[in-house]
Amino acid sequence: MKPTSRTGVLVLVLPALLIYAFAVLVPFVGTIGLSFTRWNGFGTPEWAGLDNYLRAFKDAVFMSTFGHVAIYIAATLVLEVLLGLVLAGFIAAHKWTGFYRVALFIPVMLPMVVVAVLWRTIFNPDVGILNAVLKRIGFQDVSFVWLGDPRTALLSICVVSGWVFAGFFMAIFLAALTRLPPDVVESARLDGAGEVKIFWRIKVPMIRQVVLLAVLLCVTGGLQGFDLFYVMTNGGPYNTTEVPTTYMVKSVFRDGEIGYGASLSVLVTIVGLIIAGGFWYYQRRHPADVEY
Amino acid sequence: MKSSVRLVTHGAVAVYAILCLLPLLWMAMSAFKDNGSISLSPLSLPTTLDFSVFRDAWAIGGIGQYAINSIIVTAVSTTLVLLVSSMAGFALSRLVFPGSRFILIGMVVGLLLPIQAYFIAQNQLFELVHLKDTRLALIVPYTAIGIPLAIWLIKTYVDTMPKELFEAARIDGASDLTVYRLIMVPLMRPALVTVGIFTALAAWNEFLLALLYVQDESLKTIPTGLLAFSSRYATDYRMLFAALTMVTLPLIIIYVVFNKRIVEGLTQGSVKG
Repeated sequence: MKPTSRTGVLVLVLPALLIYAFAVLVPFVGTIGLSFTRWNGFGTPEWAGLDNYLRAFKDAVFMSTFGHVAIYIAATLVLEVLLGLVLAGFIAAHKWTGFYRVALFIPVMLPMVVVAVLWRTIFNPDVGILNAVLKRIGFQDVSFVWLGDPRTALLSICVVSGWVFAGFFMAIFLAALTRLPPDVVESARLDGAGEVKIFWRIKVPMIRQVVLLAVLLCVTGGLQGFDLFYVMTNGGPYNTTEVPTTYMVKSVFRDGEIGYGASLSVLVTIVGLIIAGGFWYYQRRHPADVEY
Repeated sequence: MKSSVRLVTHGAVAVYAILCLLPLLWMAMSAFKDNGSISLSPLSLPTTLDFSVFRDAWAIGGIGQYAINSIIVTAVSTTLVLLVSSMAGFALSRLVFPGSRFILIGMVVGLLLPIQAYFIAQNQLFELVHLKDTRLALIVPYTAIGIPLAIWLIKTYVDTMPKELFEAARIDGASDLTVYRLIMVPLMRPALVTVGIFTALAAWNEFLLALLYVQDESLKTIPTGLLAFSSRYATDYRMLFAALTMVTLPLIIIYVVFNKRIVEGLTQGSVKG
């Protein structure tokens, strides 16, 4: 329809646009601009051309953040998406699962900082429940510093992330599974297929789009990970849990290198957009016949 | 054979569900124990039920102030998101005007931009306009972050409404603003509830920007406040557990009461943070 008046349209659209432009679009363009400068926040930014980017590619710690985040993503794909899928399959196929649904989803509600502080205490070698349980079941001299040991720090964070988000992905998959038409599953059952086979061969392929979306969320969300890492280890020990965002925050707010931090921000954004574009392309090439 | 497999899967899921709750039970339990028994016998049950530690954490530890700040920031930013996005979503769905396509494309791009893409210059901008260390330093970005997805969901929702509805109102002489006020707002309610839930939860839980923009103790929200609290009471575990329990419990209660709506809202909003 044509609008009744021009001012009417402006009144409707402008508030959202102005807030969004002020707080997101302008800063986004500004970050790109700052990435080509040397600036410590005082005085005027000094033009640096591509120096920041060249430095980023030679920065071993920054490059290693992508390795850590890749491990984190791989682990959470298993601990969150795959586990969530299996749990959803179980819950969808059974009755009286109210307790499971509630128990699994409760961690999703909590602020990540609360989760991080709680688990930091659980992993605490002195008062933490983890070492206490290990001691109780027979490991005598456990005073293991889970978050302080380069071998276990990153994995510990992955486990905590799984504790939170398995329930989230379970809920997404459960919603998709309950939307499936019962007749397809029914006819497979009449053909004598077992429940496990029906789940992997029929149900999961039918909710393929949802699985793909979940994988995308897990990958892009992982790339942006910050809260757990900052609170539990802040990149340590020896940079073994440094991820792009914790490193970016350090560059800008600890070292005062705003231009350099901005170039890291642009690089991470580009990586994220390439990943999202890859998923989009894949989905275009393999469209779903029917969407559930 | 078959029934034993069944038993094992049932058992595994039950164990996993208990593992989800165990850390929370341990947390609540430890709040009632003294620091000595927390570190010496972490698995033992509390012997007394002393609630005074909760009062201390709330009043002396400052959890109360953090909670008030979180409520203000969340309420204001959620209300703003609902208001401006419902107006824009309606206009983008029903009105044809120059630039409307451009705005929609901009919103889709906005869905893809993570906070990491702009927070550095945003910080400088907020410093420039003296927004830092005010409540607006959080309200403004939380509102902006919520807008693209909110507009998108509301627009898609309005798209499904019959166009006769709008034509009839038009023939009766209603202006677009009147249509929005009298017809759209009541009809959009289900979409607004969904958008409201995930916007509010995202604002309530947001940490990165809160950490960078608010240093003033009296303005900190629960995530940054709790972090400050945990270093203030680094060795007073009883206080820490009391604080953790206090910020966790309301969310669990809200979840148990509004279970269905929240799961729906969160999965549609697909926030991950």
